[in-house]
Amino acid sequence: MTWLAALDVNGLPQQLTNGIVVGAIYALIALGYTMVYGVLKLINFAHGEVFMIGCFISLFVSWSLGYTSSSIPTATNPSALMWMILASMLVCGLVGVFLERFAYRPMRGQPRINSLITAIGISLFLQYGLSLVFPISPPRTITEQVNPYWQNSVSVTLRAAPQELVNDRAKVVAELKTAVDAQNARMKELGIDSTFRLPEEDKYLVTTVRNLEAKERELGADVNKSETRITVPTGKMIMLVATLALMLLLRWVVMGTAVGRQMRAVSHDFDSASLMGIDVNFVVSMTFFIGSALAGAGGMMAATFQGVALTAFVGLEYGVKAFVAAVLGGIGNIPGAVLGGLLIGMLESIATAFGQSAYQNIVTFFILILVLIVKPAGLLGSAKAEKV
Amino acid sequence: MNFWLVRILSIGAAVGFAWFLSVATVDAPTLLGPRLVALAGMYVTLAVSLNLINGITGQFSIGHAGFFQVGAYTAGILSGLYFKEGMNPMMWVGLMSIAGAITAGIAGLLVGVPSLRLRGDYLAIVTLGFGEIIRIFVTTQQDPLINGATGINVKPQHNAVFLSILLAIACIAVCRNLLQNAHGLPFLAIREDEVASNAMGVNTTKYKVIAFVIGSAFAGAAGALFAHTESFILPDLFKMELSFLILTMVVLGGNGSITGSVVAALVLFYLPEVLRGGEGQATMAFSGPMIVGFFVGLIALVAGIRHSQQRHMSSQAAKFGFLAFTMGAAVLVGVVVSLLAKASPNLSAAKYDVNQLRMVIFSITLVVVMLVRPQGLLGHREFGWGLFTRKSATSEVQA
Repeated sequence: MTWLAALDVNGLPQQLTNGIVVGAIYALIALGYTMVYGVLKLINFAHGEVFMIGCFISLFVSWSLGYTSSSIPTATNPSALMWMILASMLVCGLVGVFLERFAYRPMRGQPRINSLITAIGISLFLQYGLSLVFPISPPRTITEQVNPYWQNSVSVTLRAAPQELVNDRAKVVAELKTAVDAQNARMKELGIDSTFRLPEEDKYLVTTVRNLEAKERELGADVNKSETRITVPTGKMIMLVATLALMLLLRWVVMGTAVGRQMRAVSHDFDSASLMGIDVNFVVSMTFFIGSALAGAGGMMAATFQGVALTAFVGLEYGVKAFVAAVLGGIGNIPGAVLGGLLIGMLESIATAFGQSAYQNIVTFFILILVLIVKPAGLLGSAKAEKV
Repeated sequence: MNFWLVRILSIGAAVGFAWFLSVATVDAPTLLGPRLVALAGMYVTLAVSLNLINGITGQFSIGHAGFFQVGAYTAGILSGLYFKEGMNPMMWVGLMSIAGAITAGIAGLLVGVPSLRLRGDYLAIVTLGFGEIIRIFVTTQQDPLINGATGINVKPQHNAVFLSILLAIACIAVCRNLLQNAHGLPFLAIREDEVASNAMGVNTTKYKVIAFVIGSAFAGAAGALFAHTESFILPDLFKMELSFLILTMVVLGGNGSITGSVVAALVLFYLPEVLRGGEGQATMAFSGPMIVGFFVGLIALVAGIRHSQQRHMSSQAAKFGFLAFTMGAAVLVGVVVSLLAKASPNLSAAKYDVNQLRMVIFSITLVVVMLVRPQGLLGHREFGWGLFTRKSATSEVQA
């Protein structure tokens, strides 16, 4: 039961919050997997690479706005984030449409395994093609200063530390201040700049300061340990809000517009939809555009607010996790992808809270396999009866 | 009498062929040297054994690297525990490959029994997840016998050409015999229509598990040989990409065709090695005109082949327009790429790592073959002596 003992209970709410923040990104990417699967019954293995392209596009935009590693504009500008996310979404959406037109559409009508192989081929091509241009080391990162609020954070205290502990600490801090003042006053009096030069009879001043500092540190640790608080950097708050906004937008597109209704029809029955006069090719292109744009937004946010190290292989890890999320929630089901993404994010952070961060991927896949064996259609998916 | 004579002669021929290769490769240049030939044998085994699951039984498994890894680590751990200097390396490696086959077969059983209830994509996901779980689990183990992500040295180093070729032949023989006699019919029936074969009284779960276990066991045996040939294994060698590579071999060769798997495995294994020149790490400089030429050639090839397949373009003008359009597009793509290359200081003067370049060429080949010839190189056809006597030899069960 050593792993149970390793559980840091006070850190759990913070870890769960981190999990939701990461999970939101997974959910955003998972939406693309699930939409494409819903319409075409195709696992788009190149989706992780679309995410990777989104990361790189936002890197290029941040460079062109002047945020290079050597120079950073003095006047911060919130519109930089806007440009980055719009460019990523647009380029990724177009890449998605292009992929569908030239790689997947010719394969329609062939066995599904062939489209899968094409997807794998394209994913390998994008990974290694880009790593020719951008060698793996050193990995690029987007400088945090792109985000004007990068130093701020939002903090919520769930359970405050006991009042006497806080009072003790305040008292020690005050004592420390007077001791430091006394020491500095004495040094000024003697006209010296280093505590080492203090004469022997004044050394007690230094000792007092040191002792008080140690006490302060100890009490500070006690206070931190006994209180439960959640701190989220402002950048991640922006990320969470933007993700939610995009999801609501997607919901409106799918449920409230003509294209969305066509998408649902195609997803329900591809052939009948085309017989009913729906331009199936247009709907599939739109699906790819929207799904890939969401992945591009996810890429921009991961690269900007999480500071992911950008190599050509960055899409692999996120892609696999988002894919697992999509399957967990029930692939082809849009709310399922969001649920799956959040669950995967939280599972990972719970594994971290248990001090087992090395096992987080195993936990992810294990839960996935368990869910698939017990409920093969995923958490929110509905099993379809097979007709002969 | 004739039956046994043929059997004994074939086994003799197989052993003789493997022995000939193991002798002939000793002093050969790198490309035909013992290491690459042994590895080629293992890839053939992997491709054919996956073909048994994917092509012949029609189950979609993309976690084959996991079973390969089980075999490799079985050999690594057992050799670390029990191998003593002075033992015959070849006997030991043979023993290890049997051990690897057994553990991988058990792993296949453990994965197969619960997950083969699933169909299609879901089975694919479970096998993928299983392969990843094994790899990550090994990565997290700090025990000196496994040594986590750092990997372990496997002793004795032994270029298992003889065993590897023999294993490949055995694997091919098992699959071929399965296709040619009544025992194989349930497998083919499941591939053609699972629901219908179930209705006809085929115990589908049983046959799917059998195929899965046999396939995994062969992969495990190949893994053990791999561990001893490379004499150093680490979890990163068994990533998802390896599973994809094996799957690609199967599909490229033609899903269900053993001959196709063998040919595709050899081509895909040797293509990168030839591009590398057999010299290990190397770099290659590329200039703008080369890039333009490459894209023009590539797109013209695809367009030409697709054009030859399209019958509906009747008028001469339409054909000409199509060709002109594709050529124009190809030139445009090439020019844009080479301009980009000129503009970026990274690209214009850079020397490229051949290891990455070969993956690019490899992936392009993959997509092009899929677009041009989706049924794979050989479709369901097989090589056989009938090829020379009859017009067409085919083992295809007509759907």
